[in-house]
Amino acid sequence: MSWIKEGELTIIERFCANIIKAGPMPKHVAFIMDGNRRYAQKCHVERQQGHSEGFEKLAQTLRWCLNLGIQEVTVYAFSIENFKRSREEVDGLMDLARQKFSRLLEEQENLKKHGVCIRVLGDLPLLPMDIQELIAQAVLATRNYNKCFLNVCFAYTSRHEISNAVREMAWGVEQGLLEPSDVSESLLDKCLYTNNSPDPDLLIRTSGEVRLSDFLLWQTSHSCLVFQSVLWPEYSFWNLCEAILRFQMNYSALQKARDSYMEERRRQQLERDQDYVTRKLQQEGCASHGDSRRRRTLLQKCTAMREQRIQGFLQALEHKRADFFERLCTVSA
Amino acid sequence: RQRWRADGRALRKLPVHVGLVVTEEEPSYADMASLVVWCMAVGISYVSVYDHNGIFKRNNSRLMDEILKQQQELIGLDCSKYTVEFANQDKTGQVLNCQSTLKVLSPEDGKADIVKAAQNFCQLVAQQQRTHTDLDVNVLDNLLSSTNGFPDPDLVLKFGPVDSTLGFLPWHIRLTEIISLPSHLNISYEEFFSALHHYAACEQRWGK
Repeated sequence: MSWIKEGELTIIERFCANIIKAGPMPKHVAFIMDGNRRYAQKCHVERQQGHSEGFEKLAQTLRWCLNLGIQEVTVYAFSIENFKRSREEVDGLMDLARQKFSRLLEEQENLKKHGVCIRVLGDLPLLPMDIQELIAQAVLATRNYNKCFLNVCFAYTSRHEISNAVREMAWGVEQGLLEPSDVSESLLDKCLYTNNSPDPDLLIRTSGEVRLSDFLLWQTSHSCLVFQSVLWPEYSFWNLCEAILRFQMNYSALQKARDSYMEERRRQQLERDQDYVTRKLQQEGCASHGDSRRRRTLLQKCTAMREQRIQGFLQALEHKRADFFERLCTVSA
Repeated sequence: RQRWRADGRALRKLPVHVGLVVTEEEPSYADMASLVVWCMAVGISYVSVYDHNGIFKRNNSRLMDEILKQQQELIGLDCSKYTVEFANQDKTGQVLNCQSTLKVLSPEDGKADIVKAAQNFCQLVAQQQRTHTDLDVNVLDNLLSSTNGFPDPDLVLKFGPVDSTLGFLPWHIRLTEIISLPSHLNISYEEFFSALHHYAACEQRWGK
């Protein structure tokens, strides 16, 4: 299959894989696949070929991840900032996308066999219409598969994603589905393009750059960040193992930091809810420190009502997104 | 004072805003103070200090005292006062004699600040003063308050063994260079300056 290279690990690779798998393994790895153009320059070939080999490397890396039991991978394929590149290069990348997504659709049987769910995340209306249609078909065709997940960030930046999430919540308020006080970190999480995925455990950037370049800024706040100097088209199984080892070395510190962050978040939400309940009780004329049973009931009630509103809103959001893809498919049918 | 400024000028580029991020569990006030003072001496205009437990923020007066002490000791600068801003609080310091500004940050200045901005915007929408389509990247950027007046960090110096930003200003670090140093404990000026040197050498393509 063109997007996931066929083949198993060599004996040595399998040996190392077994050693690594004795420790904690990331469930979701994100890649900034940087270095295609520098690779092309180094090998004295056209940039387009650099990108093409970059894609081959992606297919190979996905195979390694599956061999290692890593079920979810997110990649930064095209940034909104990349539209600033030369017309020639942008067109070349769009053509590559057309080619690869078309190929993907021809391999439906394989996708089904491997159970690959493809998601494309980004400001898709910025893309040429025919690519949007191809993407919609790929996404809809694979949406119920669940053996492994590939998220392709295309026409994406993290700031656009976060702004979009806030805009959706504002839309929810406008529609009467949400109260402003329902807005929280956890709700924002559920409005991001990545809402069906856990946060990446590990973010890998190749080519030696040490920045995030507007990729998954919200989701990687507590992820293990590994910067490797190898150029993407030259990425090897050993580079991947090296990154996973770093993840393992950081594992307990990051677990601890994440847990204490979530604990603090829960505590603050509870505090806000208690304040709300206090105000409500005062309105009702009760002493604010009085009847603890009344307080508990009110707290439960306000939490339950909020949950209900949020479920309704998230369902509406899900419908809106599914609609977008379905409409694109009927256009091309 | 001359020597430090000259060092700064010798670099191909100097960051405008440096984030000093400590991932070690036990932060050292003296060492952090040295780092802050070196940043200011070298000519970095904006400095932020961060640890994911919010220890520096909770004990900011202790940090300030240490910084004042180091300033006088190391540099003998006649600018003994500087503006100190604490995100989301009203405490501002005295007269600005130094060209540098300091902020002490914690996780509440990260995601929580974005959520607060989102809540405020949604409040305006509920009052029909705004519609959801009014909100784009620039509008949201302007609604954030944790780094009022500060540009985005160009550089983060990350100290300690943890390979993560641990919640430091997620929105603002989209293009920030992240340079890691093993520890802030007993950090030397040479180590600090060598990191600045490393930063000066990096090439930024801005997506092009």
